[in-house]
Amino acid sequence: MAEETKQKTSSAKSTESAGKIRHIVKRMYKKAQQAKEENRKVAYCMVMCNYEEILEALDVVQVYTENYAGLCAVKREAEQYMKKAQAEGYSDVLCGYAQVGIGFDAWRHELGAMPPDAPDGGMPEPDVLLGCSMGCDPRWKWYQALGRYKNTPIYNMEVLMPPSDADFDAIKEYYVRYMAEELRGLIAFLEKHTGKKMDYDRLTAIVKQVEETRLWWRKAYDLRRAIPCPMSTQDHFVIFVPHHMLLTDSMTLDFYKGLYEELKQRVDNKIGVIDEEKYRLLWGVGLPPWHSMYILDYFQTFGAVFAAETAYMIPEPFEMPPDITDPVELIALRAYERNSALQRRGKEAGDVPPLAQAHLERIRDFSIEGVVMHVTRSCRAATMGQIFTRNVIRDYYPRMPVMFMESDIVDVESYSEADTKNQIDAFMEMMDAYKKSST
Amino acid sequence: MAKIAQRGLTTAQELYERRRARAEDLSRKGKRVIGYFCSYTPVEIFTALDIVPYRIQGKVGRPIEQAGQYLETIVCPYVRSCFDLALSGEYDFLAGVVIPHTCDAMHRVYDIWKYYLKPPYSYSLYVPHMTHPASYEFFQKEITNLKESLELFVNRHASETDILEAIQLHNRSRVLLRELYKLRKSDPPLISGTEVMQVLVAGMTIPVQEFNELLWDVITEVRERKPDAERKPRLLISGSEVDDDDLIRLAEESGANVVMDDLCTGSRSFWQDVDPSRGALAGLAERYLGITCPRTYRPGKAPQRFSYLGDFIREWNVQGVMLYTIRFCDTYQLDAPEMKDYIQSLGLPVLYLEDTYITSPVGQWKTRVEAFLETIESRRE
Repeated sequence: MAEETKQKTSSAKSTESAGKIRHIVKRMYKKAQQAKEENRKVAYCMVMCNYEEILEALDVVQVYTENYAGLCAVKREAEQYMKKAQAEGYSDVLCGYAQVGIGFDAWRHELGAMPPDAPDGGMPEPDVLLGCSMGCDPRWKWYQALGRYKNTPIYNMEVLMPPSDADFDAIKEYYVRYMAEELRGLIAFLEKHTGKKMDYDRLTAIVKQVEETRLWWRKAYDLRRAIPCPMSTQDHFVIFVPHHMLLTDSMTLDFYKGLYEELKQRVDNKIGVIDEEKYRLLWGVGLPPWHSMYILDYFQTFGAVFAAETAYMIPEPFEMPPDITDPVELIALRAYERNSALQRRGKEAGDVPPLAQAHLERIRDFSIEGVVMHVTRSCRAATMGQIFTRNVIRDYYPRMPVMFMESDIVDVESYSEADTKNQIDAFMEMMDAYKKSST
Repeated sequence: MAKIAQRGLTTAQELYERRRARAEDLSRKGKRVIGYFCSYTPVEIFTALDIVPYRIQGKVGRPIEQAGQYLETIVCPYVRSCFDLALSGEYDFLAGVVIPHTCDAMHRVYDIWKYYLKPPYSYSLYVPHMTHPASYEFFQKEITNLKESLELFVNRHASETDILEAIQLHNRSRVLLRELYKLRKSDPPLISGTEVMQVLVAGMTIPVQEFNELLWDVITEVRERKPDAERKPRLLISGSEVDDDDLIRLAEESGANVVMDDLCTGSRSFWQDVDPSRGALAGLAERYLGITCPRTYRPGKAPQRFSYLGDFIREWNVQGVMLYTIRFCDTYQLDAPEMKDYIQSLGLPVLYLEDTYITSPVGQWKTRVEAFLETIESRRE
């Protein structure tokens, strides 16, 4: 990579917990590479597919490919992989994460070795590829495309996201049943490729630990309702890493307990992200610009703090029914309850679409005064519906300032710092006017 | 059908050009017409309830007027175009809309469509992405729920017999369409790709009974034709939604015969029949989840997944393939390079075209299409 593009791309963090993440990420890739050397099974995975506990119970090492693409973008190393994917015939507007991932594996295939200077040593060669239908289409299409470069077995799994206006009582039984069958299919697939048998008691214990981990993350997260806000979105966009990529790791529970203690201490002592918190912002739908995260700090120069997000959200709370003892049934039910929670609340609130419902809840609960959404050229799934969501927000908060920041998740070429700063300047003027008129 | 006295192809062309005319007429006369997207909507359920299924289409080359206030520019341009037309009142005659969750754009446009257009009836049908045994069971349940929802809307019950009769009608369309496609096998073909496109689009705007009559007329008319003596490069076009004849016309006016397709609006929408032997709804689930669209996961390497394309190529003696994708369509674009590899492995040249639909670049493609045809010609020599 050319020297001139080597620059600091990260944002300022307000917590010590966030400061630990870089080390955790480095260790995560190192451990995955070591596992591969020790002939342990490695899986390419997508985040939030509800299969983390199953993989852990079968000792499969998890490598999250979307997030590796994000890491490449943070290090401004994504372009070389995207160019490789495009040279292989993939469209330049294809999902940026998929472009990076396909380019990476195409290059590895061509070299017969790890691409040179791969960030954090690169992703180890997977033994299985585990896609998932939830979130967006590339999350299951991408791994099949890798069939051009490897003969790795694939299991693509359906994870259902019920429609916003479904009759939730009527669909629950067969949605849960289908999800459970998909999970059982995954277990059979993994047992075949690992040669191990599932230990269901162990799986149950892992599920319980994971829910405890989530409880602590949620408790910590909710502390951000405090004024001044003890932690910003800049922190959140690294704090989510242990949950999304190391969910079943023994240190993850302790990490979120530690985060809670740290935030509690900051709230008790009224320590905010900045000395004088003038405005509270929501980072709305849209994954972050990994290549230029420092731009979020620019908002702080106006006294604005991102107090909440709707990206990389914590899973909805889930009460484990004591009568369900089969962990597969439990995971299936959990997936249904979580993936239909916003729809159900939106429906109860008067047919508010789920995405807008998520924003309205954050605005209400975190005393939000303005919203920033990130229009990402190569991520349709997180971009489509932003204008709509803004419009629905305005149905409830007619003068709420909303800014659409335009760039991409990984492609730095689509980002203009000067334009973005001009846009932020104008947005903050709006914020000021809105605040004055509201008081 | 009102205009059945005139020749089938003329009727098809008129319906193609004035797409909503017949459906709007039926709507005025009290018939319920419900719009739907995608090849994955089981239209037999509509027919069983005496609802006219009307496939919602965009308009190639028509600039976006109002949809920009609601949909981002990076959204599937086909979906933007459909929504823009709906905002302009083009689909006001529809009594409702069914939008299957087939891809990200379809999934997300449902809430937007419902919120702004407030159709009297709306339904989001979850179509599984996977094809595991449990996927079929699940899809059957989803189709059952769609049926029950439509029954409530029209206040009428569709019995197993009603659905079986509807299946029979739609299977009849499929048989006739495959018959029509056989008339493209001769060299030169008896019917052009442009004409076939018009027939297909026409059929998506009228009741199935009328379409079957129209198809029979078209087949009779085409069979009477004397084949042209001039042999031209024989093309297959593969892609997603092509509801406009511009591209096929361009290829044919440039000196090709488009003899086969692999399109959502083409063979993909009718190639398989419904087999009701295990029950009407089970048959529908099996048939619709078996559609070979990139939005559904079908395991295997390219030669296995795309073998149906190989069959088309051999049976229709195809000499070149146009791979057509709509920009921002992740599902198709993630398959396209492998499809290209596969077709090339069969010894055929491929022309890859990425379309923007709304500001269609068809005019700019003329040179590329001509060069492509020259390549085929040189191979033929």
